[in-house]
Amino acid sequence: MSNPQLNHDIKDLIIEALGLEDISADDIGDEQTLFGEGLGLDSVDALELGLAIQKRYGIKIDADAKDTRSHFTNVATLAAFVTAKQAA
Amino acid sequence: MEVPQGEIHTLITFNISQWRAWAPGLQSAAHWQQWSHGERAIDAGEASPDVSFLPAMQRRRLSRLARMAFAVGWPLAEGLAPLPLVFVSRHGETPRTLEILSDLAAAQPLSPTQFSLSVHNAVIGLWSIMRGETAEMTAIAAEGDGFEHAVVEAAGLLHDGAPAVLLIVAEEHPPAAYSPWITDVPCDYALGLLLTPGDQWRLSLEGDKAAPASEPHALSWLRNLLANRSTFTHTLKDRTWNWQRKT
Repeated sequence: MSNPQLNHDIKDLIIEALGLEDISADDIGDEQTLFGEGLGLDSVDALELGLAIQKRYGIKIDADAKDTRSHFTNVATLAAFVTAKQAA
Repeated sequence: MEVPQGEIHTLITFNISQWRAWAPGLQSAAHWQQWSHGERAIDAGEASPDVSFLPAMQRRRLSRLARMAFAVGWPLAEGLAPLPLVFVSRHGETPRTLEILSDLAAAQPLSPTQFSLSVHNAVIGLWSIMRGETAEMTAIAAEGDGFEHAVVEAAGLLHDGAPAVLLIVAEEHPPAAYSPWITDVPCDYALGLLLTPGDQWRLSLEGDKAAPASEPHALSWLRNLLANRSTFTHTLKDRTWNWQRKT
């Protein structure tokens, strides 16, 4: 179940938390790969984004959990993860 | 460091083939000429230098101080690789330090990005990554005569056989919280020098006591250069650095 507003908020959070100059939320696709290929984020960005998401949405991310990596695939998977965590 | 009166402790010679300087409101050589004639002043503002020659994804981790260092150093390094680098800043990235300490004081988790860049050699680390530069690089923090200590370090690298050495000095006006303790950074400034072997310049350290320099040594050096003075001194405590230039 997709939530366009949440996707947009997460894109803004990515831009703000990672200091992405010259990029707007519209430049990031819902399904665009965030790390490595695609947007080109790196491992420090992953930690920073994880922290920003925990702060903004008041959720806890277990860095060691096996599926954490897949939640950070793209904006859509992050939004689904946030939605599921908040409902839990 | 105690320097006995009348003794010469360091004597080095070198050439300075190019320089670049940046301060808010002053970018070009023409601006600095006007500054040296008292026709133009350094702004008090928060302006950042233009580093748009770097892709946005690389720029994003550069602090203001790093941008200042890159703005003066990048054009000087053009086409010269490998190029050893001596980076000197007494206080470093004080806004980042304050931000991290503020998070700690508020028992907030630290930003991984801020933490990963919270060492004095982070600026040269980013320089190395972005330029693919693997030559020797040094980050120095010294007292008010760090500029001269960096020149000594650069001269050592020239003596070791480097055909050229880049020297970058950068200081950022610190956040207000530090103002009772940091009194030697009246303004933001960065100066880049490209040093090569030669005897155009002589720098010696002498024990004579003289009046301390009235502005940061790097800016005083630039002012003397632009005024075509062939000798001048910079004194800090009992250390007098005697600059001489062949005319």
